[in-house]
Amino acid sequence: MYLVFELLQQTAVIIVIAYLFSKSPVMNYLTGDRLQRRELLVLYVVFSLFSILGTYTGLPIQGAIANTRAIGAVLAGLIGGPVLGVAVGVTAGIHRFFLGGFTDFACGISTTAEGLIGGLVHLYLLRRKQPENLFHPFVAFSATLVAEALQMLIILAIARPFSDAVALVEVIAVPMICANSVGAALFISMVRDQKRVRDKVGAMFSAKAFTVADRTLGILSRGFSAETAREMAEIIRQETGVGAVAITDREKILAFSGVGADHHRAGNPVVTKWSKQALRENKVVFANGYDEHFQCPLSNHCPLGSALVVPLQVDQEVVGTISLYEPKTKLFLNINRSFGEGLATLYSHQLLRSRFEEQKSLLIQSELKLLQAQVNPHFLFNALNTIMAIVRKDADQARELLLQLSNFFRTNLQRKSDIVTLEQELAHISAYLEIEKARFGERLSVVQEIDPDLLNLQIPVFTLQPLIENAIKHGIADLLDQGQIWVRVYRQQETIYIEVEDNAGSYCEQLDTHGLGMRLVDQRIKNIYGSEFGLTVDCEPQQKTLVQVKLPLSQELVNDSCVNH
Amino acid sequence: MIRALIIDDEQHAREELELLVAETGAFKLLGSCANAIDALRKIRTEKPELLFLDIEMPALNGFELLAMIEDELMPHVVFVTAYNQHALKAFEEKTLDYLLKPVSPERFLKTINKVRESIRRGEPPQYQIEPLRHIPCQFSNRVKLIPSNDIEYVFSNLTGIHIVTEEGQFFTELTLRVLEARTSLLRCQRQYLVNPESIDEIKLLENGSAEIKTRLGTPLPVSRRYLRQLKVYLKL
Repeated sequence: MYLVFELLQQTAVIIVIAYLFSKSPVMNYLTGDRLQRRELLVLYVVFSLFSILGTYTGLPIQGAIANTRAIGAVLAGLIGGPVLGVAVGVTAGIHRFFLGGFTDFACGISTTAEGLIGGLVHLYLLRRKQPENLFHPFVAFSATLVAEALQMLIILAIARPFSDAVALVEVIAVPMICANSVGAALFISMVRDQKRVRDKVGAMFSAKAFTVADRTLGILSRGFSAETAREMAEIIRQETGVGAVAITDREKILAFSGVGADHHRAGNPVVTKWSKQALRENKVVFANGYDEHFQCPLSNHCPLGSALVVPLQVDQEVVGTISLYEPKTKLFLNINRSFGEGLATLYSHQLLRSRFEEQKSLLIQSELKLLQAQVNPHFLFNALNTIMAIVRKDADQARELLLQLSNFFRTNLQRKSDIVTLEQELAHISAYLEIEKARFGERLSVVQEIDPDLLNLQIPVFTLQPLIENAIKHGIADLLDQGQIWVRVYRQQETIYIEVEDNAGSYCEQLDTHGLGMRLVDQRIKNIYGSEFGLTVDCEPQQKTLVQVKLPLSQELVNDSCVNH
Repeated sequence: MIRALIIDDEQHAREELELLVAETGAFKLLGSCANAIDALRKIRTEKPELLFLDIEMPALNGFELLAMIEDELMPHVVFVTAYNQHALKAFEEKTLDYLLKPVSPERFLKTINKVRESIRRGEPPQYQIEPLRHIPCQFSNRVKLIPSNDIEYVFSNLTGIHIVTEEGQFFTELTLRVLEARTSLLRCQRQYLVNPESIDEIKLLENGSAEIKTRLGTPLPVSRRYLRQLKVYLKL
């Protein structure tokens, strides 16, 4: 009984050590899923010392030592795997061996075996995909119980004389098994609690970060301006609880929220040396409040005492800053520092993305202009050549064709809006087709199958023309016999299909190898209506090429169209 | 009178040129053709001295038509195009005669005077002919264009010239000599051309001739005369 009490005293020592352990930086190593080599080395040292300490605090009994050495070895195996367990076991075992006594060899071996048992339990739990149970006190208790029982058997098996061994085990078995198992369970339980607290803090912090990101990114996507900056600064201050938040562009404060707003005003130029440094050198500047004090250049009574200034950048170029401030009465939390830096990175990415989107839409705009300006010279000269020949025979037809030609070019040049009605687009291509029909004569016939209900349908300008041009240029013009083009517009449920088909089947390559015109049609439709709409090409060589444009039937577009005429 | 032929796929364009040609009174117009296949026949039968040749035509363009004409039949050519930057550049570089549609009468006169001069001097027309990438073949009332790389071998018999590919046998109006000169096909016997890419093995025979086995397993005769050339070509 005395022995149990003594060992419990030792256990108290273990608990103190466990407490210190859970507060030490070593604890950080237990939060990750996989341990790196360096972390394993640290854990090896810590647990080896711990295990050896168990030996020293042990009680000499009948020439042996009743001790809590097992806890270090088993836990090392349990937390770090068999290699770490055996390493700690061997280290503590060798140490024990050199202390002598008739059980020296048996104890040395058994400590190694205990480390191995911990390691095997570790492996077993990982195989079963239950890594969270590694830190379960019951697991630690059971593993240590088995390990200690094994130690007793090893002592009986190896230590000589046998009679002394039996006598020893009779005395120490129960107290040691109990004390070690309970000690290990307590140790693990304490570590687990500490781990939980940390996870909880981490989770809270992550949740906060996501809330801020979620609430502010939408605002930022509307642009980087005084108005959006004001909303963002307010949200960041509320969520982080820092004293004040400022957002600046390269020259002036866009928004300021929080303590000191009376003299830090939006619209004022950037004056603090920290902000200027961040803008100039494109790096994070931090005045933590005790090594370096934030000193407001505007007012001696400014309550702000510490500042973090993070540059916002787009493409390596600084476009502004985000600053977090704490008053002199408060410490600047490290967690807010990393938060501020992360937020600035996130915003920089969002700004880059906005700029990219902006340039993409500019590009499409200018490509449209190009398409408009790009009057196909081949078409023009062939048309003129045809008309010159027709003038000799049929002046009226020639006049008619010249009218069509001027109509075609006029609408081509006058199209300003991005959206036209189907009727307007059809009128435009019919002028084009009339001229091509005159040019090709009997070699070209055109069949139009248009749902008359859809004439007011609004479509992006130049949707049909590039398709028709392609059908003529790469289809009909390449055909030895009779060429035919079908133009169809119809509706299936909520989808509109615009089709241009020819019977040549001579352009079967993928869309992206086609001319600028077709690609632009596809891109614009996808930009406006989403990627499930757009253009597809279906081709049977020598038989047909079918270009299909898929558009959504937007009810308001159909109805509104009457107003826009 | 210079014997001239107009080749253009557009009817109005042909009519316009016919009128311009007639107005000069310097030409005997042999006719107008709407495509390269018809034109090739006409060139064989009528042997024109001058072509007014449109570049953009269906199936086979103007340059491809030139590649199908035998050297001794090669007429002088005035190229006609509406707008083709690529072709214009080539015309300028090779100092070829060309007209732009719509054709202005002044420009037309200037060009044909130049051509008439060189015909009168008897200068043989010299055009850089590009290799034939497609061989037009008669195929049940249609024209089939066979990529020259797909040809296994070509042979001639009493009924004409036949092109053999994996897909079968096709009749063509091109001569063996044109095919030999304008494609990578090699002559292996008086009546046979073979695609060197299709040769599977060459078996040398005792009398100094040989036999080719093609990839499709067809045996082709190789005469002594062409065996030497074949060996040189294949670096044997």
